[in-house]
Amino acid sequence: MTLSGSSALRLGLLVFAAVILQISGFGQLRLLGGNADLVPLLVAAVALYAGAISGALAGFSAGLLLDLAIGSDLGASSLVLTAVGYGAGRWCEVRRPSNSLAPIPAAAAVTAAWGIAFAAVSIMLEIDAEVSPLVLRDILVTTLLNALIALPAFSIVRRFLRPVLVVDPIEVRRRRRAPRERGPIGLRGLEV
Amino acid sequence: MSFGYDKQVIRRRRITFGVLVALSLVLITGYFGEGPGGVLHTIQRGAQEALAPIEKGAGKALKPFRDLAGWFGDVMDAKSENEELRRENERLQKELARALIAARDGEQARSLIGLTEFSGYPDGMEAITARVIVRSPTVWYSTVQIDKGSSDGVEVNMPVVAAGADPQGTGGLAGRVVSVTPSTARVMLITDSDSGVGAEVFPGGENGVVRPEVGKPSDLLLDFIEKGRRIRKGNTVITSGFRSRGLESHFPRGIPIGVVTRVDPGELDLYQRVHIRPFADLRRMDVVQVLRPAGAGQRAGVGAE
Repeated sequence: MTLSGSSALRLGLLVFAAVILQISGFGQLRLLGGNADLVPLLVAAVALYAGAISGALAGFSAGLLLDLAIGSDLGASSLVLTAVGYGAGRWCEVRRPSNSLAPIPAAAAVTAAWGIAFAAVSIMLEIDAEVSPLVLRDILVTTLLNALIALPAFSIVRRFLRPVLVVDPIEVRRRRRAPRERGPIGLRGLEV
Repeated sequence: MSFGYDKQVIRRRRITFGVLVALSLVLITGYFGEGPGGVLHTIQRGAQEALAPIEKGAGKALKPFRDLAGWFGDVMDAKSENEELRRENERLQKELARALIAARDGEQARSLIGLTEFSGYPDGMEAITARVIVRSPTVWYSTVQIDKGSSDGVEVNMPVVAAGADPQGTGGLAGRVVSVTPSTARVMLITDSDSGVGAEVFPGGENGVVRPEVGKPSDLLLDFIEKGRRIRKGNTVITSGFRSRGLESHFPRGIPIGVVTRVDPGELDLYQRVHIRPFADLRRMDVVQVLRPAGAGQRAGVGAE
């Protein structure tokens, strides 16, 4: 994705919608003792489709908006989400995942990384209280729920970003697919 | 995707990442370095004020989905909870029988009179009802934002109470107001890692501080209770409202906090570890009440609800 007015607007709208939905409603939808988290999901999707720079920008802006909206320590969420978005973007740039189920491990990895890194930053900054091991369960449940909703969530992000993507990775994948011609026993290149 | 590997792309990518990380670090440093009246805190309050109407609208639109998910969660929990409640009921029936005998004999009449006092608010308080519009999505910051602010009479450090999980059950302390804007206020819940509430065990009178354990919102710890003090499962914990040498608790005396569920003596510790289950349902709050001194609204020209 090249940085232009249109792409910035689309990215900004996505970030704004994800953060508002998360703090106003999704955060309270408790399932299996935890809740899904749209913010890392969005960062992972942007990183997967638009690369490391866009992933880092989405992470920074989502973190900043989250910190401003909920009144937590300003900069903490931005720091973690920037790193997570950049890391996810780089992984996608280097690996170029071609499987249509790639959003699931991408969402799970980004959510788990966000949960663990944010816990570490929070502990380093100013947590005086005792920390229960159940925090890990919370991270695990959020990771699981995010993995479950990854496919539809990534699909929405892709549709929204598609007009501003320089290259749509799904299209690249389709073009990379091998021809469907096969021989009589199902093996390519063995036509009789 | 322009995933090129030429030097210019690599440099631009690294510079962008470096600038964003540096900006985040500057924000963290600035935020911790300034007081509550600093520039960044003021910007944060302004953003909360500006976002409040959108959050309020989104919250209302998503309420049916929240309720639906809550219903599913309740059904899943109901089976295990039913067994637990049956055991709890048996235990309470035994305790009730004991309490009635004690009341008849006049042994604990004094405590029982006191018990009726915290079925409502402490004396001399009135309530401002508010709706929760924003909730922190992480366990590290247990804060909520409510739709009432300074123009409704809400002030910093006012206590906030919420209903219990069971509609017939007692509600209790949820937290205190930590910042206000004209139309919203931020409430730090008692499960926030920065929270500490001066508390008293009822009817014994032992004093301690209620602290959270991050990640366990349904299990608080009552700290600084010396070993040897008899704390029993089922004892009620209320705010102590201490006043000593110019120091004063933010919470008036008598707001119910929770019930003692377990006492760990802790062999190497100086104090006992008393576990409390909060009365207020802190994970699913839609409506809360901010408590303020009675008559404060008339003096300020705003009414309580």
